[in-house]
Amino acid sequence: MNAPDHEPIVSIPELLAHALELETESRERYRDLAQCMALHNNPDVAALFEQMAGYSELHARSVEVRAQGYSLPAIAPWDFKWNCPEGRETPCLDDVHYLMNRRQALELARHNEIRGRDFYAGVAAFSPEPEVSALAREMADEEQEHVDLLAQWIARELAQLEVLLEDLDPPHIPE
Amino acid sequence: MATETRTHALKAKEYKSDIAPVWCPGCGHFAVLSALTKALAYLELPKERVALVSGIGCSSRLPAYLDTYGFHGLHGRALAVATGLKAARPELTVVVAGGDGDGFSIGGNHFLHACRRNMDLTYIVMDNEVYGMTKGQASPTTAPEWSRSKLTPHGPGVRRFRPAAIALAAGASFIARGFAGDPSGLTRLIVQAIEHRGFSFLQVLSPCQTFRPEQTEWKQQVHPFDGEPAANDLEAAARIHADDGMALGLIYVEPLPVWQPLAQPSASLAEIEQELSL
Repeated sequence: MNAPDHEPIVSIPELLAHALELETESRERYRDLAQCMALHNNPDVAALFEQMAGYSELHARSVEVRAQGYSLPAIAPWDFKWNCPEGRETPCLDDVHYLMNRRQALELARHNEIRGRDFYAGVAAFSPEPEVSALAREMADEEQEHVDLLAQWIARELAQLEVLLEDLDPPHIPE
Repeated sequence: MATETRTHALKAKEYKSDIAPVWCPGCGHFAVLSALTKALAYLELPKERVALVSGIGCSSRLPAYLDTYGFHGLHGRALAVATGLKAARPELTVVVAGGDGDGFSIGGNHFLHACRRNMDLTYIVMDNEVYGMTKGQASPTTAPEWSRSKLTPHGPGVRRFRPAAIALAAGASFIARGFAGDPSGLTRLIVQAIEHRGFSFLQVLSPCQTFRPEQTEWKQQVHPFDGEPAANDLEAAARIHADDGMALGLIYVEPLPVWQPLAQPSASLAEIEQELSL
């Protein structure tokens, strides 16, 4: 694992602030995507993204429970210590398409969980504070559970997830 | 140290309205909406002190998605409306949003004079180099060889409008470029633009996945500007001259005189009538 190109996370409140941002941003993006897919007549993927938003909401609440008794620092959006433009579990905008199917959506979700896991693993590996490393390791293990669950989900539904969507009236370039 | 103790009065999502955006899945404008709400939350601006003004186009739907004051104006006239609003209500934070067609073609003249006037406005142009709402025609920033529209099967064949160069020549005092694929960096630029006193022009490369799917490659093509932002127009001109159009960051910022009409009339109605009476 390569060292991150920013300062390591050095306190429990700082780690929890990152965890909370990671989950709340992920929830917001999944919710946006769910609305968007519903508007574009892709109800299956809309329902899946809404489900993912629900999981992110649950995870955010569990972080809030963990954060009780701490005063979390407010971090400017551009100062979070992850090597990507947004939270590690936030789907990138250009990874989605209105014709994507459930399999693609699940693989996207799994990809995001892997990024989340790697973020916490990186914190665990490079934080100089043992208690931060320990909590980050615990969080990385939780993310790994999510990765495994999604992998099982994909395998379980593989046959029905192979269906490719089509649009009989696609956006077109006018004459 | 990156962290600081601040208490945000509102969370970013609280600046969003209940209306779901109708943009296509994968549209870069979602990132602009997200960055804008984060910037407003970071700046702790009360909703009732913010007005978002737009013209026409996909990106100009933005005011509906914010829970601040908003005005969805006429095509190309967003800056004219915003200028009037700022003149009448200087205490408001007035943000203007639109696309490349709305801002540089239909509203091109307003763009020039808004730069020159240097009122305290923030102008965010979501540039996807295409008219998306009307299903994919070449816009002022489209490359001359882009041939995917049947209206211009051999490409528009016209040199691109160069927003940063024109903004500088017209007198803008803040010029920056962001990217929808870098929402955190974009948030920072929006904060800087709003904090700048004067006309802030922020071009945002915002991919249109439906009519310009090749723009997904932008994330491999963008790169940060080298060095510090230019502090005068000569340096800025050199910077923009060397720019490939994909460099991101604050290009130029200089404190220049801000034009703001007097809040109070210089004469009463009775005085004016007396002056005009025969």
